[in-house]
Amino acid sequence: MTIERELDTIDVNFNVGPQHPATHGVFRMVLTVDGELVVDLEPVIGYLHRGAEKLSENCDYRQAIGFQDRTEYLAQFNAELCYVIAVEKLMGLEVPERAEYIRVILTELNRIASHLMFMGAFSADLGVFGTLFMYAFRERERMQDLFEEISGDRMMYSYFRVGGLAWDVPQDFVERTRWVVKQARQGIADIDGLLTRNEVTMARTRGIGVMPADQAIDWGFSGPMLRATGVRHDLRRAEPYSIYDRLEFDIPVGTQGDVYDRYTVRLEEMRQSARIVEQCLDQMPKDGPVVAPGLKRVLRPPAGEVYMRTENPRGEYGIYLVSKGTDKPYRLKIRSPSFCHLAALRDMVVGHYVADAVIILGSVDIVLCEVDR
Amino acid sequence: MSAAQERREPGVKETPIVPPPPGSVADTFKAALPDVEFVANQGVLDVILTVAPQDVPRVMRAAKDDPRLAFDFLRCLSGVDQMEQGLEVVYHLYSFKHAHNVTIKTLLPADDPQIPTISTVWNGALWHEREAHEMFGIVFQGHPDLRPLLLEEDLGYHPLLKSHPLAEIEESQEDFLREEAPAAAATAAGAPPAPVDERAAKIALAQKKAEAMKKAREEARAKGLSPEDEKAFVQEALKTLEEGS
Repeated sequence: MTIERELDTIDVNFNVGPQHPATHGVFRMVLTVDGELVVDLEPVIGYLHRGAEKLSENCDYRQAIGFQDRTEYLAQFNAELCYVIAVEKLMGLEVPERAEYIRVILTELNRIASHLMFMGAFSADLGVFGTLFMYAFRERERMQDLFEEISGDRMMYSYFRVGGLAWDVPQDFVERTRWVVKQARQGIADIDGLLTRNEVTMARTRGIGVMPADQAIDWGFSGPMLRATGVRHDLRRAEPYSIYDRLEFDIPVGTQGDVYDRYTVRLEEMRQSARIVEQCLDQMPKDGPVVAPGLKRVLRPPAGEVYMRTENPRGEYGIYLVSKGTDKPYRLKIRSPSFCHLAALRDMVVGHYVADAVIILGSVDIVLCEVDR
Repeated sequence: MSAAQERREPGVKETPIVPPPPGSVADTFKAALPDVEFVANQGVLDVILTVAPQDVPRVMRAAKDDPRLAFDFLRCLSGVDQMEQGLEVVYHLYSFKHAHNVTIKTLLPADDPQIPTISTVWNGALWHEREAHEMFGIVFQGHPDLRPLLLEEDLGYHPLLKSHPLAEIEESQEDFLREEAPAAAATAAGAPPAPVDERAAKIALAQKKAEAMKKAREEARAKGLSPEDEKAFVQEALKTLEEGS
């Protein structure tokens, strides 16, 4: 983007982060500004690099599930799902139907929880009000309680297993989930009412951080970031995995690819996820096994490779898994959506004001553990 | 031979190379680039094509620009250390227009891994190539900026190579053991053997001190010294003991 300059001024170079509340984690933006206008930006990442890929190569296939939670710590079930399906594809495993339904229910609830986190942080970035942050977290908390009850942990669930689940869900799972979804629907409506037609939101997000569809594809955008540009692409529909081919849901898209569209797409996605969960609760088998029979404790998938991709709240989450027939993954590469989105941050921010840079970064919905891995 | 290979079970079957079904994306590639040699294999989800490194720029350009292929989306770019065979670069592509996938692989020599960049074809490759460069040492010729992305500057090694140990602690422990072993051997040969256990040594020292204190106190009492002088006498005895040992 070319910038028209009125006065002869000196550009100033400064850091935002690595420790800064507006960067949503440990992330540094080197901004070059001309007055209030951003003329250059360099994203600096790697502060949270823990070598999850290397560590996974030194664990057996079951142990490596834990690193998925720690990589994508806002959508843990989604990340686990991608990994376990990758191993199942290599082994040619069939998963019991009840396990598939429970997986999808938890994954979609996790998507809502992740988007709620986005809503809260986004409203705080906008400076609209802290109240919305609390509303979003109230809803998210109910889901976290449910997840904790099922998996035994608030954050690092490690509940999905290759071939199914670690154990069955509690007896009142269906009723509780119905209640949680009902409450979440009300919470989503509250957020919608407070934020969507809000004057501050409209003024600060429309036409900001625009990324045209062709460039977005070129940069490797996926998920809500891509759909905001108008591309109707969702891996749950385009390449259905698990039981998504049996479920009905709409794919919301934006029109301009600006920050406002990213927000509205995510808002609608939460409603669609709630719809999916309700369908699953209706269709789910009442009882049955939750793990494939005859599985050994130590898994040895046949030699081969697979690139499994799933639709995560942030976009296409990919696991490239190479097996050499041993008990450990030979190579495990995590394709994280936020990583690809951050690479294009400069193109989105340059030409905007410093205050907008924070909102654009917020609209990417980054999880820095997932970026750095 | 790596640890991973050693633990391989004898009964493990290698997946055979299965040619992709006719009419797949492999045939389209062969039609678009008749002079490039492809090794096609049907993977679990996608068709896998193996090409020579020098053909990669041409193949990638055609993959994006040819309307029959139209791979506009670079899903992922990964490096894989295949040890004796060399370093592998794997490209996962997707086409929004035709909704088809392909995996393109190429093998580089481990001693000089160089390959032309594909960031001129897809912008999205910029950071992926930077990552593969720092993790595996693969040089992407023509890449505008190959500075480290996730790792610190001047690290001096490529952590995802199989030759790199998982944690440095294993190495430093080995170094420690190597330094300790000759020292222990020297003491065994010359001077009286020192107690090996640190805790046992401490206990022995404390017992020795207690003995000396008891002896000094008895001596002082026999001499009929005042309590203050007695204290000083014991302290003196302890000091001589410490200096002596």
